[in-house]
Amino acid sequence: MKLKKYGTLVRAGLMESLQYRASAFVLVIGNLLYLIIIYFLWKAIYASAGTDTVSGMTFSETLIYLVLATALFNFMEMYIVWDMGRSIQSGDMVLMLLKPMEYRSYLFWSYSGEHIMQFITTFLPTFLIVCIVTHGAIPLGINLVYFVISVVMALLINYYINFFVGTICLYTESIWGINIMKQVIVMLLSGVTVPIAFFPETLQKIVYCLPFQSIYNAPLTLLLDGQPESGNVLSILVTQFLWCAVMGIACRLFWKLSIRQITVNGG
Amino acid sequence: MSAIIEIKNITKEFKVLNRREGLKGSLKDLFSRDYKIVRAVDSISISIEQGEIVGYLGPNGAGKSTTIKMMTGVLEPTSGEILVNGNEPYRSRTRNSKEIGVVFGQRSQLWWALPLIESFRILKDIYRISDDDYDHMISLYKSLVDIDELLHKPVRQMSLGQRTLSDILAAFLHNPKIVFLDEPTIGLDVSMKAKIRTLINALNKEKNTTVILTTHDMGDVDALCRRIVIIDKGKMLYDNDIEHLKGFFGSYRTLKIGIDGDLTAEAEKIQKEFPEFSVSNDDEWISVLVDEEKSTVMDVLGRLQASRKIKDMKLEEISTEEVIKKIYEEGV
Repeated sequence: MKLKKYGTLVRAGLMESLQYRASAFVLVIGNLLYLIIIYFLWKAIYASAGTDTVSGMTFSETLIYLVLATALFNFMEMYIVWDMGRSIQSGDMVLMLLKPMEYRSYLFWSYSGEHIMQFITTFLPTFLIVCIVTHGAIPLGINLVYFVISVVMALLINYYINFFVGTICLYTESIWGINIMKQVIVMLLSGVTVPIAFFPETLQKIVYCLPFQSIYNAPLTLLLDGQPESGNVLSILVTQFLWCAVMGIACRLFWKLSIRQITVNGG
Repeated sequence: MSAIIEIKNITKEFKVLNRREGLKGSLKDLFSRDYKIVRAVDSISISIEQGEIVGYLGPNGAGKSTTIKMMTGVLEPTSGEILVNGNEPYRSRTRNSKEIGVVFGQRSQLWWALPLIESFRILKDIYRISDDDYDHMISLYKSLVDIDELLHKPVRQMSLGQRTLSDILAAFLHNPKIVFLDEPTIGLDVSMKAKIRTLINALNKEKNTTVILTTHDMGDVDALCRRIVIIDKGKMLYDNDIEHLKGFFGSYRTLKIGIDGDLTAEAEKIQKEFPEFSVSNDDEWISVLVDEEKSTVMDVLGRLQASRKIKDMKLEEISTEEVIKKIYEEGV
Protein backbone atom coordinates (compact mmCIF):
# COMPACT_ATOMS: atom_id res chain seq x y z
CA MET A 1 0.00 0.00 0.00
CA LYS A 2 1.51 3.23 -1.13
CA LEU A 3 -0.91 5.33 0.90
CA LYS A 4 0.10 3.63 4.10
CA LYS A 5 3.37 5.51 4.38
CA TYR A 6 1.53 8.82 4.22
CA GLY A 7 -0.96 7.64 6.80
CA THR A 8 1.80 6.66 9.15
CA LEU A 9 3.37 10.11 8.89
CA VAL A 10 0.03 11.76 9.67
CA ARG A 11 -0.35 9.48 12.66
CA ALA A 12 3.16 10.33 13.86
CA GLY A 13 2.40 14.05 13.54
CA LEU A 14 -0.78 13.64 15.58
CA MET A 15 1.09 11.76 18.28
CA GLU A 16 3.93 14.23 18.36
CA SER A 17 1.63 17.20 18.77
CA LEU A 18 -0.14 15.42 21.60
CA GLN A 19 3.19 15.22 23.43
CA TYR A 20 3.31 18.97 23.88
CA ARG A 21 0.18 19.69 25.88
CA ALA A 22 1.53 22.78 27.60
CA SER A 23 2.11 24.57 24.32
CA ALA A 24 -1.55 24.07 23.37
CA PHE A 25 -2.70 25.84 26.53
CA VAL A 26 -0.29 28.72 26.03
CA LEU A 27 -1.57 29.05 22.47
CA VAL A 28 -5.16 29.36 23.68
CA ILE A 29 -4.24 32.08 26.19
CA GLY A 30 -2.22 33.97 23.59
CA ASN A 31 -5.16 33.87 21.24
CA LEU A 32 -7.55 35.21 23.81
CA LEU A 33 -5.28 38.19 24.38
CA TYR A 34 -5.03 38.79 20.65
CA LEU A 35 -8.82 38.63 20.26
CA ILE A 36 -9.31 41.13 23.10
CA ILE A 37 -6.94 43.54 21.37
CA ILE A 38 -8.80 43.10 18.08
CA TYR A 39 -12.13 43.75 19.78
CA PHE A 40 -11.03 47.07 21.29
CA LEU A 41 -9.06 48.16 18.26
CA TRP A 42 -11.97 47.76 15.89
CA LYS A 43 -14.41 49.19 18.41
CA ALA A 44 -12.29 52.33 18.40
CA ILE A 45 -12.12 52.34 14.60
CA TYR A 46 -15.92 52.13 14.31
CA ALA A 47 -16.42 54.76 17.03
CA SER A 48 -14.16 57.20 15.24
CA ALA A 49 -15.81 56.51 11.89
CA GLY A 50 -19.14 57.56 13.38
CA THR A 51 -21.16 55.28 11.08
CA ASP A 52 -22.50 51.77 11.56
CA THR A 53 -20.83 50.36 8.49
CA VAL A 54 -17.28 50.91 7.32
CA SER A 55 -16.31 49.70 3.83
CA GLY A 56 -19.61 47.86 3.63
CA MET A 57 -19.10 45.84 6.80
CA THR A 58 -20.79 46.29 10.17
CA PHE A 59 -18.85 46.05 13.42
CA SER A 60 -20.15 42.58 14.26
CA GLU A 61 -19.47 41.34 10.71
CA THR A 62 -15.90 42.59 10.92
CA LEU A 63 -15.43 41.06 14.33
CA ILE A 64 -16.81 37.67 13.31
CA TYR A 65 -14.59 37.73 10.24
CA LEU A 66 -11.48 38.54 12.24
CA VAL A 67 -12.16 36.05 15.03
CA LEU A 68 -12.62 33.28 12.49
CA ALA A 69 -9.60 34.50 10.52
CA THR A 70 -7.48 34.26 13.66
CA ALA A 71 -8.77 30.76 14.36
CA LEU A 72 -8.04 29.78 10.78
CA PHE A 73 -4.59 31.29 11.02
CA ASN A 74 -3.81 29.29 14.15
CA PHE A 75 -4.98 26.15 12.49
CA MET A 76 -3.10 26.64 9.23
CA GLU A 77 0.08 28.32 10.44
CA MET A 78 3.15 26.27 9.51
CA TYR A 79 6.69 26.36 10.74
CA ILE A 80 8.09 24.71 7.67
CA VAL A 81 10.48 27.53 6.82
CA TRP A 82 12.04 27.28 10.29
CA ASP A 83 12.21 23.53 10.01
CA MET A 84 13.79 23.53 6.60
CA GLY A 85 16.20 26.30 7.51
CA ARG A 86 17.28 24.51 10.63
CA SER A 87 17.84 21.19 8.94
CA ILE A 88 19.76 22.88 6.14
CA GLN A 89 21.99 24.73 8.61
CA SER A 90 22.60 21.73 10.81
CA GLY A 91 23.01 19.34 7.90
CA ASP A 92 20.14 17.10 9.07
CA MET A 93 18.74 17.62 5.58
CA VAL A 94 21.00 14.77 4.48
CA LEU A 95 18.95 12.32 6.52
CA MET A 96 15.73 13.62 4.94
CA LEU A 97 17.16 13.26 1.46
CA LEU A 98 18.05 9.66 2.19
CA LYS A 99 14.49 8.63 2.98
CA PRO A 100 12.85 6.66 0.18
CA MET A 101 10.33 9.44 -0.32
CA GLU A 102 10.21 12.86 -1.92
CA TYR A 103 11.13 15.45 0.68
CA ARG A 104 8.20 17.61 -0.39
CA SER A 105 5.57 15.00 0.33
CA TYR A 106 7.42 13.71 3.37
CA LEU A 107 7.25 17.14 4.95
CA PHE A 108 3.65 17.75 3.93
CA TRP A 109 2.32 14.54 5.40
CA SER A 110 4.42 14.91 8.52
CA TYR A 111 2.73 18.24 9.09
CA SER A 112 -0.78 17.04 8.31
CA GLY A 113 -1.18 15.34 11.66
CA GLU A 114 -0.38 18.55 13.44
CA HIS A 115 -2.92 20.43 11.31
CA ILE A 116 -5.67 17.96 12.14
CA MET A 117 -4.80 18.41 15.80
CA GLN A 118 -4.84 22.19 15.49
CA PHE A 119 -8.13 22.08 13.64
CA ILE A 120 -9.71 20.21 16.53
CA THR A 121 -8.11 22.25 19.29
CA THR A 122 -8.25 25.78 17.87
CA PHE A 123 -10.55 26.23 14.91
CA LEU A 124 -13.45 24.00 15.86
CA PRO A 125 -13.98 25.41 19.40
CA THR A 126 -13.73 28.99 18.15
CA PHE A 127 -16.18 28.26 15.37
CA LEU A 128 -18.67 26.68 17.78
CA ILE A 129 -18.35 29.53 20.28
CA VAL A 130 -18.91 32.14 17.57
CA CYS A 131 -21.97 30.16 16.39
CA ILE A 132 -23.49 30.07 19.85
CA VAL A 133 -22.61 33.61 20.92
CA THR A 134 -23.87 35.28 17.74
CA HIS A 135 -27.07 33.16 17.53
CA GLY A 136 -26.62 32.07 13.96
CA ALA A 137 -24.59 34.85 12.38
CA ILE A 138 -22.69 32.08 10.63
CA PRO A 139 -24.99 30.40 8.13
CA LEU A 140 -24.99 26.61 8.44
CA GLY A 141 -25.75 25.17 5.03
CA ILE A 142 -24.07 24.17 1.80
CA ASN A 143 -21.50 26.90 2.48
CA LEU A 144 -19.85 24.57 5.03
CA VAL A 145 -19.07 22.07 2.27
CA TYR A 146 -17.57 24.79 0.08
CA PHE A 147 -15.59 25.97 3.07
CA VAL A 148 -14.05 22.54 3.71
CA ILE A 149 -13.03 22.13 0.06
CA SER A 150 -11.62 25.64 0.10
CA VAL A 151 -9.67 25.06 3.32
CA VAL A 152 -7.96 21.97 1.93
CA MET A 153 -6.77 23.95 -1.09
CA ALA A 154 -5.81 26.87 1.15
CA LEU A 155 -3.65 24.51 3.18
CA LEU A 156 -1.94 23.30 0.04
CA ILE A 157 -1.29 26.83 -1.24
CA ASN A 158 0.03 27.86 2.15
CA TYR A 159 2.26 24.79 2.24
CA TYR A 160 3.65 25.48 -1.21
CA ILE A 161 4.42 29.10 -0.37
CA ASN A 162 6.21 28.00 2.77
CA PHE A 163 8.10 25.29 0.97
CA PHE A 164 9.14 27.71 -1.74
CA VAL A 165 10.49 30.18 0.80
CA GLY A 166 12.17 27.33 2.67
CA THR A 167 13.94 26.29 -0.51
CA ILE A 168 15.50 29.74 -0.72
CA CYS A 169 17.32 28.84 2.51
CA LEU A 170 19.38 26.38 0.51
CA TYR A 171 21.10 29.41 -1.00
CA THR A 172 21.09 31.89 1.84
CA GLU A 173 21.65 29.47 4.73
CA SER A 174 19.87 31.98 6.94
CA ILE A 175 16.21 31.93 7.80
CA TRP A 176 15.25 34.75 10.10
CA GLY A 177 14.90 37.65 7.68
CA ILE A 178 13.31 35.66 4.89
CA ASN A 179 10.76 34.10 7.18
CA ILE A 180 9.78 37.40 8.77
CA MET A 181 9.31 38.92 5.34
CA LYS A 182 7.17 36.01 4.24
CA GLN A 183 5.05 36.25 7.37
CA VAL A 184 4.43 39.96 7.00
CA ILE A 185 3.49 39.63 3.34
CA VAL A 186 1.13 36.73 3.97
CA MET A 187 -0.47 38.31 7.04
CA LEU A 188 -1.16 41.55 5.24
CA LEU A 189 -2.15 40.39 1.78
CA SER A 190 -4.14 37.31 2.76
CA GLY A 191 -6.75 39.28 4.68
CA VAL A 192 -6.03 37.66 8.00
CA THR A 193 -5.27 40.87 9.93
CA VAL A 194 -7.43 43.34 8.00
CA PRO A 195 -10.43 42.25 5.88
CA ILE A 196 -9.64 42.86 2.22
CA ALA A 197 -12.80 44.98 1.92
CA PHE A 198 -10.98 47.66 3.89
CA PHE A 199 -8.12 47.92 1.41
CA PRO A 200 -8.00 50.79 -1.11
CA GLU A 201 -9.47 49.78 -4.45
CA THR A 202 -6.22 49.51 -6.43
CA LEU A 203 -4.64 47.42 -3.70
CA GLN A 204 -7.70 45.15 -3.69
CA LYS A 205 -7.24 44.56 -7.40
CA ILE A 206 -3.59 43.68 -6.90
CA VAL A 207 -4.38 41.42 -3.95
CA TYR A 208 -6.89 39.44 -5.97
CA CYS A 209 -4.17 38.72 -8.53
CA LEU A 210 -1.88 37.22 -5.87
CA PRO A 211 -2.06 33.78 -4.28
CA PHE A 212 -2.14 35.00 -0.68
CA GLN A 213 -5.83 35.91 -0.50
CA SER A 214 -6.63 32.32 -1.48
CA ILE A 215 -5.29 31.19 1.88
CA TYR A 216 -7.54 33.06 4.32
CA ASN A 217 -9.86 35.39 2.46
CA ALA A 218 -11.24 32.75 0.09
CA PRO A 219 -12.37 30.13 2.66
CA LEU A 220 -13.73 32.81 4.99
CA THR A 221 -15.73 34.43 2.23
CA LEU A 222 -17.27 31.06 1.40
CA LEU A 223 -17.97 30.31 5.05
CA LEU A 224 -19.72 33.59 5.78
CA ASP A 225 -21.83 33.65 2.62
CA GLY A 226 -25.28 32.32 3.51
CA GLN A 227 -26.75 32.50 -0.01
CA PRO A 228 -23.88 31.38 -2.18
CA GLU A 229 -24.19 32.09 -5.91
CA SER A 230 -22.80 29.20 -7.86
CA GLY A 231 -20.85 31.51 -10.19
CA ASN A 232 -19.17 33.26 -7.31
CA VAL A 233 -18.32 30.03 -5.50
CA LEU A 234 -17.00 28.51 -8.67
CA SER A 235 -14.74 31.45 -9.42
CA ILE A 236 -13.26 31.38 -5.90
CA LEU A 237 -12.65 27.64 -5.99
CA VAL A 238 -11.23 27.70 -9.51
CA THR A 239 -8.87 30.53 -8.56
CA GLN A 240 -7.69 28.51 -5.60
CA PHE A 241 -7.27 25.43 -7.71
CA LEU A 242 -5.20 27.32 -10.25
CA TRP A 243 -2.95 28.69 -7.53
CA CYS A 244 -2.56 25.18 -6.13
CA ALA A 245 -1.40 23.94 -9.50
CA VAL A 246 0.87 26.90 -10.23
CA MET A 247 2.51 26.92 -6.82
CA GLY A 248 2.81 23.15 -6.81
CA ILE A 249 4.65 23.13 -10.11
CA ALA A 250 6.79 26.11 -9.12
CA CYS A 251 7.81 24.39 -5.89
CA ARG A 252 8.64 21.19 -7.65
CA LEU A 253 10.80 22.87 -10.26
CA PHE A 254 12.52 25.22 -7.84
CA TRP A 255 13.33 22.38 -5.43
CA LYS A 256 14.63 20.11 -8.17
CA LEU A 257 16.83 22.87 -9.56
CA SER A 258 18.11 23.90 -6.15
CA ILE A 259 18.86 20.44 -4.89
CA ARG A 260 20.73 19.77 -8.09
CA GLN A 261 22.71 22.92 -7.52
CA ILE A 262 23.58 21.62 -4.06
CA THR A 263 24.54 18.16 -5.27
CA VAL A 264 26.74 19.62 -7.97
CA ASN A 265 28.36 22.45 -6.02
CA GLY A 266 28.11 21.07 -2.52
CA GLY A 267 26.44 22.68 0.44
CA MET B 1 31.16 -12.45 -6.28
CA SER B 2 30.66 -9.03 -7.76
CA ALA B 3 31.30 -5.81 -5.94
CA ILE B 4 28.40 -4.06 -4.26
CA ILE B 5 30.14 -0.69 -4.36
CA GLU B 6 32.31 0.08 -7.35
CA ILE B 7 34.05 3.43 -7.42
CA LYS B 8 36.26 4.39 -10.32
CA ASN B 9 38.38 7.53 -10.28
CA ILE B 10 35.84 9.78 -8.64
CA THR B 11 36.73 13.38 -8.11
CA LYS B 12 34.68 16.03 -6.37
CA GLU B 13 35.41 19.71 -6.70
CA PHE B 14 33.71 22.48 -4.77
CA LYS B 15 33.49 26.10 -5.72
CA VAL B 16 34.40 28.16 -2.70
CA LEU B 17 34.21 31.92 -2.44
CA ASN B 18 37.55 33.56 -1.66
CA ARG B 19 36.71 35.32 1.59
CA ARG B 20 38.42 38.54 2.46
CA GLU B 21 39.34 39.73 5.91
CA GLY B 22 37.64 42.30 8.08
CA LEU B 23 34.30 44.05 7.83
CA LYS B 24 35.25 45.80 4.62
CA GLY B 25 36.27 42.50 3.10
CA SER B 26 33.02 40.88 4.18
CA LEU B 27 31.06 43.67 2.52
CA LYS B 28 33.05 43.24 -0.67
CA ASP B 29 32.38 39.50 -0.48
CA LEU B 30 28.68 40.18 -0.92
CA PHE B 31 29.35 41.05 -4.54
CA SER B 32 32.41 38.94 -5.14
CA ARG B 33 32.65 36.51 -8.04
CA ASP B 34 36.09 35.44 -6.96
CA TYR B 35 35.80 31.67 -6.58
CA LYS B 36 38.46 29.10 -6.13
CA ILE B 37 38.07 25.42 -6.87
CA VAL B 38 38.74 23.07 -4.00
CA ARG B 39 39.28 19.44 -4.79
CA ALA B 40 37.82 17.55 -1.85
CA VAL B 41 38.18 14.10 -3.38
CA ASP B 42 40.84 13.38 -5.94
CA SER B 43 40.44 10.34 -8.21
CA ILE B 44 39.67 7.66 -5.68
CA SER B 45 38.89 4.09 -6.70
CA ILE B 46 37.51 1.53 -4.30
CA SER B 47 35.74 -1.74 -4.83
CA ILE B 48 33.81 -3.21 -1.93
CA GLU B 49 32.26 -6.67 -1.75
CA GLN B 50 28.97 -7.64 -0.16
CA GLY B 51 29.42 -8.38 3.55
CA GLU B 52 32.68 -6.53 4.10
CA ILE B 53 33.28 -4.14 6.97
CA VAL B 54 35.52 -1.41 5.69
CA GLY B 55 37.10 1.20 7.90
CA TYR B 56 37.26 4.48 6.07
CA LEU B 57 39.85 6.58 7.81
CA GLY B 58 41.53 9.89 7.43
CA PRO B 59 42.24 13.02 9.43
CA ASN B 60 39.57 15.70 9.80
CA GLY B 61 38.79 17.31 6.47
CA ALA B 62 40.34 14.49 4.43
CA GLY B 63 37.26 14.06 2.25
CA LYS B 64 35.63 11.11 4.01
CA SER B 65 32.19 12.64 4.39
CA THR B 66 32.26 13.90 0.83
CA THR B 67 32.95 10.38 -0.44
CA ILE B 68 30.16 8.97 1.71
CA LYS B 69 27.77 11.63 0.49
CA MET B 70 28.61 10.63 -3.07
CA MET B 71 28.05 6.96 -2.30
CA THR B 72 24.65 7.73 -0.76
CA GLY B 73 23.69 9.95 -3.68
CA VAL B 74 23.48 13.27 -1.85
CA LEU B 75 26.37 14.67 -3.86
CA GLU B 76 27.10 14.19 -7.52
CA PRO B 77 30.73 13.48 -8.38
CA THR B 78 32.46 16.01 -10.62
CA SER B 79 33.96 13.17 -12.60
CA GLY B 80 34.34 9.43 -12.34
CA GLU B 81 31.91 6.61 -11.84
CA ILE B 82 30.11 5.19 -8.84
CA LEU B 83 27.91 2.14 -8.88
CA VAL B 84 26.17 1.24 -5.66
CA ASN B 85 24.25 -1.99 -5.93
CA GLY B 86 24.25 -1.51 -9.69
CA ASN B 87 22.76 1.99 -9.58
CA GLU B 88 24.28 5.39 -9.95
CA PRO B 89 23.29 6.77 -6.55
CA TYR B 90 22.77 10.46 -7.44
CA ARG B 91 20.56 9.58 -10.39
CA SER B 92 18.26 7.27 -8.48
CA ARG B 93 18.53 8.51 -4.94
CA THR B 94 15.09 7.36 -3.90
CA ARG B 95 15.60 3.85 -5.24
CA ASN B 96 19.10 3.71 -3.82
CA SER B 97 17.91 4.85 -0.40
CA LYS B 98 15.89 1.67 0.09
CA GLU B 99 19.05 -0.39 -0.11
CA ILE B 100 21.15 1.67 2.24
CA GLY B 101 21.03 2.70 5.88
CA VAL B 102 22.88 5.60 7.42
CA VAL B 103 23.92 6.63 10.89
CA PHE B 104 25.60 9.96 11.44
CA GLY B 105 27.05 10.00 14.94
CA GLN B 106 25.78 13.45 15.80
CA ARG B 107 22.40 13.36 14.11
CA SER B 108 19.34 11.29 14.71
CA GLN B 109 16.77 10.12 12.24
CA LEU B 110 14.39 9.10 15.02
CA TRP B 111 11.19 10.89 15.98
CA TRP B 112 12.29 12.99 18.91
CA ALA B 113 9.09 13.13 20.90
CA LEU B 114 7.93 9.56 20.36
CA PRO B 115 8.92 6.24 21.93
CA LEU B 116 11.44 4.25 19.90
CA ILE B 117 8.88 1.62 18.91
CA GLU B 118 6.85 4.31 17.11
CA SER B 119 9.90 5.38 15.11
CA PHE B 120 10.35 1.76 14.12
CA ARG B 121 6.71 1.50 13.05
CA ILE B 122 6.96 4.67 10.98
CA LEU B 123 10.13 3.40 9.31
CA LYS B 124 8.40 0.08 8.69
CA ASP B 125 5.69 1.86 6.70
CA ILE B 126 8.03 4.29 4.94
CA TYR B 127 10.36 1.53 3.81
CA ARG B 128 7.40 -0.79 3.28
CA ILE B 129 8.86 -3.60 5.33
CA SER B 130 6.62 -6.65 5.42
CA ASP B 131 5.20 -7.77 8.78
CA ASP B 132 7.25 -10.96 8.73
CA ASP B 133 10.54 -9.21 8.00
CA TYR B 134 9.79 -6.61 10.64
CA ASP B 135 8.96 -9.18 13.33
CA HIS B 136 12.03 -11.17 12.39
CA MET B 137 14.25 -8.09 12.71
CA ILE B 138 12.76 -7.06 16.06
CA SER B 139 13.27 -10.52 17.50
CA LEU B 140 16.83 -10.50 16.18
CA TYR B 141 17.40 -7.18 17.93
CA LYS B 142 15.94 -8.58 21.12
CA SER B 143 18.40 -11.45 21.00
CA LEU B 144 21.35 -9.12 20.46
CA VAL B 145 20.71 -6.20 22.79
CA ASP B 146 18.46 -5.44 25.67
CA ILE B 147 15.99 -3.20 23.89
CA ASP B 148 12.83 -3.88 25.87
CA GLU B 149 13.35 -0.89 28.12
CA LEU B 150 14.39 1.29 25.18
CA LEU B 151 11.40 0.52 22.98
CA HIS B 152 8.92 2.44 25.08
CA LYS B 153 11.16 5.33 25.99
CA PRO B 154 10.78 8.63 24.11
CA VAL B 155 13.94 9.34 22.14
CA ARG B 156 14.43 12.75 23.73
CA GLN B 157 14.80 11.10 27.14
CA MET B 158 17.52 8.71 26.00
CA SER B 159 21.18 9.06 26.83
CA LEU B 160 23.54 9.64 23.93
CA GLY B 161 24.60 6.00 24.01
CA GLN B 162 21.05 4.66 23.97
CA ARG B 163 20.15 7.03 21.17
CA THR B 164 23.12 5.99 19.05
CA LEU B 165 22.27 2.35 19.65
CA SER B 166 18.68 3.03 18.61
CA ASP B 167 19.83 4.90 15.52
CA ILE B 168 21.98 1.97 14.48
CA LEU B 169 19.05 -0.42 14.96
CA ALA B 170 16.86 1.94 12.90
CA ALA B 171 19.43 2.00 10.10
CA PHE B 172 19.46 -1.80 9.88
CA LEU B 173 15.68 -2.17 10.22
CA HIS B 174 14.83 -2.40 6.53
CA ASN B 175 17.63 -4.92 6.04
CA PRO B 176 19.66 -2.71 3.69
CA LYS B 177 22.52 -4.11 1.68
CA ILE B 178 24.86 -1.37 2.81
CA VAL B 179 25.01 0.63 6.03
CA PHE B 180 27.11 3.77 6.36
CA LEU B 181 28.21 4.53 9.89
CA ASP B 182 29.77 7.95 10.26
CA GLU B 183 31.57 8.12 13.59
CA PRO B 184 29.01 6.02 15.43
CA THR B 185 30.93 5.84 18.71
CA ILE B 186 31.71 9.54 19.04
CA GLY B 187 31.27 10.76 22.59
CA LEU B 188 30.32 7.38 24.06
CA ASP B 189 31.67 5.70 27.17
CA VAL B 190 33.84 2.58 27.02
CA SER B 191 31.12 0.04 27.76
CA MET B 192 28.68 1.58 25.29
CA LYS B 193 31.39 1.56 22.62
CA ALA B 194 31.95 -2.14 23.25
CA LYS B 195 28.22 -2.83 23.09
CA ILE B 196 27.88 -0.99 19.81
CA ARG B 197 30.87 -2.77 18.28
CA THR B 198 29.43 -6.16 19.25
CA LEU B 199 26.09 -5.17 17.78
CA ILE B 200 27.57 -4.03 14.47
CA ASN B 201 29.62 -7.20 14.19
CA ALA B 202 26.61 -9.39 14.94
CA LEU B 203 24.36 -7.62 12.44
CA ASN B 204 27.05 -7.82 9.79
CA LYS B 205 27.40 -11.57 10.35
CA GLU B 206 23.70 -12.27 10.62
CA LYS B 207 22.54 -10.28 7.60
CA ASN B 208 25.74 -10.16 5.57
CA THR B 209 25.34 -6.39 5.47
CA THR B 210 28.17 -4.37 4.02
CA VAL B 211 29.33 -1.78 6.52
CA ILE B 212 31.30 1.34 5.69
CA LEU B 213 32.62 2.87 8.87
CA THR B 214 34.34 6.17 9.40
CA THR B 215 35.83 6.77 12.78
CA HIS B 216 38.66 8.38 14.67
CA ASP B 217 38.63 5.68 17.31
CA MET B 218 41.18 2.97 16.52
CA GLY B 219 39.38 0.72 18.98
CA ASP B 220 36.50 0.62 16.48
CA VAL B 221 38.91 -0.26 13.70
CA ASP B 222 40.58 -3.07 15.63
CA ALA B 223 37.26 -4.49 16.77
CA LEU B 224 35.39 -4.31 13.47
CA CYS B 225 37.39 -3.84 10.33
CA ARG B 226 39.31 -6.41 8.37
CA ARG B 227 40.06 -3.92 5.67
CA ILE B 228 40.88 -0.25 5.89
CA VAL B 229 41.03 2.57 3.42
CA ILE B 230 42.90 5.69 4.38
CA ILE B 231 42.57 8.97 2.56
CA ASP B 232 44.07 12.37 3.18
CA LYS B 233 43.63 15.64 1.32
CA GLY B 234 41.28 13.82 -1.02
CA LYS B 235 43.86 11.29 -2.12
CA MET B 236 43.91 7.61 -1.32
CA LEU B 237 46.87 6.62 0.85
CA TYR B 238 46.15 3.01 1.71
CA ASP B 239 43.69 0.28 0.86
CA ASN B 240 44.41 -3.14 2.28
CA ASP B 241 44.09 -5.52 5.24
CA ILE B 242 44.66 -4.29 8.70
CA GLU B 243 47.51 -6.84 9.12
CA HIS B 244 49.41 -5.41 6.19
CA LEU B 245 49.13 -2.00 7.73
CA LYS B 246 51.18 -3.01 10.74
CA GLY B 247 53.99 -4.23 8.55
CA PHE B 248 53.78 -1.11 6.51
CA PHE B 249 56.54 0.74 8.26
CA GLY B 250 58.74 -2.27 8.80
CA SER B 251 58.17 -4.37 11.87
CA TYR B 252 58.56 -2.08 14.78
CA ARG B 253 58.29 -3.07 18.42
CA THR B 254 58.95 -0.94 21.45
CA LEU B 255 61.25 -2.37 24.11
CA LYS B 256 60.84 -0.73 27.49
CA ILE B 257 63.36 -1.28 30.28
CA GLY B 258 63.48 -0.12 33.88
CA ILE B 259 66.90 0.50 35.49
CA ASP B 260 68.32 2.36 38.45
CA GLY B 261 70.02 5.71 38.14
CA ASP B 262 69.41 8.82 36.07
CA LEU B 263 67.16 7.69 33.26
CA THR B 264 67.79 10.66 31.00
CA ALA B 265 71.55 10.17 31.13
CA GLU B 266 71.16 6.42 30.62
CA ALA B 267 68.85 7.01 27.68
CA GLU B 268 71.48 9.20 26.02
CA LYS B 269 74.09 6.51 26.55
CA ILE B 270 71.85 3.87 25.04
CA GLN B 271 71.09 6.12 22.11
CA LYS B 272 74.83 6.29 21.41
CA GLU B 273 75.06 2.51 21.61
CA PHE B 274 72.16 2.07 19.17
CA PRO B 275 72.26 5.01 16.79
CA GLU B 276 69.95 3.19 14.34
CA PHE B 277 66.98 3.16 16.81
CA SER B 278 65.19 6.02 18.51
CA VAL B 279 65.47 6.03 22.29
CA SER B 280 63.35 8.03 24.68
CA ASN B 281 62.50 7.96 28.35
CA ASP B 282 59.87 8.96 30.88
CA ASP B 283 59.87 8.80 34.69
CA GLU B 284 59.73 5.03 34.77
CA TRP B 285 60.90 3.55 31.51
CA ILE B 286 63.50 3.89 28.81
CA SER B 287 61.91 3.03 25.46
CA VAL B 288 63.81 1.74 22.46
CA LEU B 289 61.88 1.56 19.20
CA VAL B 290 63.38 -1.52 17.60
CA ASP B 291 63.18 -2.11 13.88
CA GLU B 292 63.20 -5.90 13.70
CA GLU B 293 64.54 -5.89 10.20
CA LYS B 294 67.82 -4.49 11.53
CA SER B 295 68.20 -6.53 14.68
CA THR B 296 65.89 -8.56 16.90
CA VAL B 297 64.51 -7.39 20.19
CA MET B 298 66.29 -10.26 21.99
CA ASP B 299 69.58 -9.11 20.55
CA VAL B 300 69.08 -5.56 21.75
CA LEU B 301 68.00 -6.79 25.17
CA GLY B 302 71.09 -8.98 25.44
CA ARG B 303 73.45 -6.14 24.61
CA LEU B 304 71.71 -3.83 27.06
CA GLN B 305 71.88 -6.43 29.80
CA ALA B 306 75.61 -6.99 29.36
CA SER B 307 76.53 -3.54 30.59
CA ARG B 308 73.79 -2.68 33.11
CA LYS B 309 71.37 -4.29 35.55
CA ILE B 310 67.83 -4.38 34.25
CA LYS B 311 65.12 -4.43 36.96
CA ASP B 312 62.11 -4.79 34.76
CA MET B 313 61.14 -4.87 31.10
CA LYS B 314 58.13 -4.92 28.83
CA LEU B 315 57.53 -5.22 25.14
CA GLU B 316 54.92 -3.27 23.20
CA GLU B 317 53.65 -4.03 19.74
CA ILE B 318 53.06 -0.99 17.61
CA SER B 319 49.34 -0.23 17.75
CA THR B 320 47.05 0.57 14.85
CA GLU B 321 46.71 3.98 16.39
CA GLU B 322 50.43 4.67 16.09
CA VAL B 323 50.59 3.43 12.51
CA ILE B 324 47.65 5.60 11.51
CA LYS B 325 49.18 8.54 13.32
CA LYS B 326 52.40 8.00 11.39
CA ILE B 327 50.50 7.82 8.11
CA TYR B 328 48.53 10.98 8.86
CA GLU B 329 51.66 12.86 9.83
CA GLU B 330 54.16 11.59 7.32
CA GLY B 331 52.19 10.04 4.49
CA VAL B 332 53.05 6.67 3.04
